[in-house]
Amino acid sequence: MRRILLIQFVFLAGIVSLAAQTPEERYSQAGGLYGSGDYSGAAAIYRKLWEEGFRSRDLLYNAGNAFFKSGDNASAILFYERAKLLAPADEDIDYNLQIARSRITDRFESVPQLFFVRWFDFLALLTPTNIWAVAALVMFLVALVLALVFLTKARARGRLLSFWLAIAAMILSFLMISLALRNNNLVNHNSKAVITCSIVTGRSAPGETGNELFVLHSGTTVTVEQELGAFREVRLPDGNKGWIRSDCMEKI
Amino acid sequence: MKKIMTALVFLLACLAATAQEVTLTVEAPESAVAGERFRIIYTINSTDGQFSPPKFDPSFSVQGPQQSTSRNVQWINGDMKTISSTTLIYYVVVGTPGTYTIPAAQFETKKVAVSSQEKQIIITAGGSPQQGAVQQQGQVKAAGDAPASGSEVSMKILLNDREVYAGEPITGMLKLYTRINLSGIQELKLPDFKGFLKEDIETLPLRSLETEVIDGVQYGTGVIQRFVLYPQVSGEIRIEPAGMTVLVQERTGARDPFFDDPFFDSFFSSVSTVPRKITTQPLTVKVKPLPEPRPADFHGAVGSFTMESSISGTDVKLNDAVTMTVTLKGSGNLNLSGEPVISFPQGIEKYDPKVTVRSSGTSSGTKVFEYLLIPRNTGTFEIPPLSYSVFDPKAEKYVTLRAGGFTVKVTGTPGQEESAAPVYIPGEDVKYLGQDIRFIRNGKTRLATVSAPLVSTLHYWLWFAFALFVAVLVLLVRKQQIRRNADTAGVRNRRAAKNARKRLARATALLKSGNKEAVNAEVARALWGYLGDKLRIAQSDITRDKCYAELRGRKADEEMITELDRILTASEYSQYAPVSEGESPAALCERAGALIGKLDDVLD
Repeated sequence: MRRILLIQFVFLAGIVSLAAQTPEERYSQAGGLYGSGDYSGAAAIYRKLWEEGFRSRDLLYNAGNAFFKSGDNASAILFYERAKLLAPADEDIDYNLQIARSRITDRFESVPQLFFVRWFDFLALLTPTNIWAVAALVMFLVALVLALVFLTKARARGRLLSFWLAIAAMILSFLMISLALRNNNLVNHNSKAVITCSIVTGRSAPGETGNELFVLHSGTTVTVEQELGAFREVRLPDGNKGWIRSDCMEKI
Repeated sequence: MKKIMTALVFLLACLAATAQEVTLTVEAPESAVAGERFRIIYTINSTDGQFSPPKFDPSFSVQGPQQSTSRNVQWINGDMKTISSTTLIYYVVVGTPGTYTIPAAQFETKKVAVSSQEKQIIITAGGSPQQGAVQQQGQVKAAGDAPASGSEVSMKILLNDREVYAGEPITGMLKLYTRINLSGIQELKLPDFKGFLKEDIETLPLRSLETEVIDGVQYGTGVIQRFVLYPQVSGEIRIEPAGMTVLVQERTGARDPFFDDPFFDSFFSSVSTVPRKITTQPLTVKVKPLPEPRPADFHGAVGSFTMESSISGTDVKLNDAVTMTVTLKGSGNLNLSGEPVISFPQGIEKYDPKVTVRSSGTSSGTKVFEYLLIPRNTGTFEIPPLSYSVFDPKAEKYVTLRAGGFTVKVTGTPGQEESAAPVYIPGEDVKYLGQDIRFIRNGKTRLATVSAPLVSTLHYWLWFAFALFVAVLVLLVRKQQIRRNADTAGVRNRRAAKNARKRLARATALLKSGNKEAVNAEVARALWGYLGDKLRIAQSDITRDKCYAELRGRKADEEMITELDRILTASEYSQYAPVSEGESPAALCERAGALIGKLDDVLD
């Protein structure tokens, strides 16, 4: 009897401690589970943290790893892609994503993006959107001050210099605004999605009646073009389009 | 009373029949072993009559009767005497031990009815029933008139299991059943056992047959070939028929209408050997696939095994060979069990294992893997514990066998044997052993919920508008200020010449008082004031150089500038030097007035 009570106490204590855990504690607990081989347990905690809105490059990277180790390649790819949006230059994420991609069924001759689009996206993802936004505002203020100097200091020696600097600051400010918008677009309004069903048919029209066009397997990344009811029109990496059930994919 | 009467009648009847002397005798063993066959023989010294068999106990399994009649006609001294007899043989097997009673049998002729004695039989519990324990050399007996299930000679493939897992061994044999005499077998053609891996078990050549009763029919049986089958594919696998030619001893003469039974053929006719082809029935074996997922350390072993590992030494010299032995023991598909994968530490050279299978006739035995290891580096090396999964078809699950690892200590001086040779250290490419994702990051991370993006909020954009608004406001204020400043400067500019002339007039007035210094100071002030107003330079930071530069910028003559310089020098010089030298103040005033006139023309 005493033992039962003790067990109950321990159990309750476990629940209480679980409830009282800070996100950081849960994060390190998941790390411990991963280390001891309980990959699906770790993945569940990481996923919960993500669903609660916590974002960090390492959290998403670890979640991807845990899903990969527990055999869920599609979710692993999903989380690596999300991590890549927070840290486009992280080499480990790229490496693991490449390994996870090598384990999926569908292979595509993907059309590479134009180099300047790639560079622009890379630049946009280097810092979060809000940092770009604040930097753009600061740069705008600098441009205004320089413009005022140019306009008011009659016959001052630095007049010409201040003119060119004002122009440059204004251009920089606009560039930063567009980077902030691009980052926001990529991170918060991403149109990319990962197929989660193990097999799904792409049709020529939304609904179950359209002609069957292609078959996709889990882990493939597609671009969502439009949404209609429970169906989404997706573009495949090779440029083809088709309608797929919405519940068979998860947006990045 | 009635009983006595019937007994009397019976007795009388017996007496009457003495002429014929009809008797019914029964022969049966006193005891028999359970499961073993024994005979009950009824003999009647008459041929015409109705024999009604006894009601055997239900636990008796009875075959027969095998009936034979004989008739002897004797002539003695002209008297003819006929002796005839009928024999009925029952073959009985009783399964359960106990004491049983064989009830009386009845025989009825037209005149008389006789019955046999009742017999007690004790059935004792024997060992396991051994079918065909009695070996009848050279003679094949066929039981009574029990119908044969097939023909007189048949062949069968017997398998110990018809539903197995892939890789699970099936022991089987090809068995011959015959009811007739055979003199030999030829052209044995075994099927190709497609889908199986067949392993023959050494079988003695068939020399003698054993008796066996199947469905009430006695057969002579013999095992032609024993084998073990290992299914390689899953599904319903068909085993094609096996074929063989048997040499049948066949009666050549006409058949006796009374003894149309192969049993009697050998007695009453000459025989010849005739070849006859026999085949087996095709079989199907259901092979279930091994359940998924298979463990990573499963290498095809199916059965029940134990595993051991040993090593020849754990304290070794550099470059001395070590043997690690892994022994797999048990029953199963030993031959098909792959070698365990041992991740030997780098620095120990590993050779492919030497594999020995010691199988004790059937599928059980041992399989020994001997790994030859040569340590090429000194240090302590850890050979990890070994795990090897086998599928246990009885438990229908994978069982992971484990064997201990070893720690090998390697001592010695590296490169000792090559000490004489010139030192050459070959570079070695890094060995990549596998590919896996990189490990997680467990360092501190800043887990923050992301605030809303600024670019999608209105107030962020309002900041830009506000900044622009403030800038425009500042610009407007500043412009106004500049305009006002420009206005005062303009007034002073316009009045510059006038003011200067006023000062000069005052200087001229001072001339009369004779105060030379005051006059000169007034001239200097007039000039400086004029220059400051006209050139828009504040009086506080006016210098000669600044004025000259500005004048040159406004295309003033160099002559004019020289004149200005002279006047300024003169007026300032006379202020601080003795009065005697230099020009008279009156001339200075005049010259200053002329210069201002000239400058005014240029600067306006």
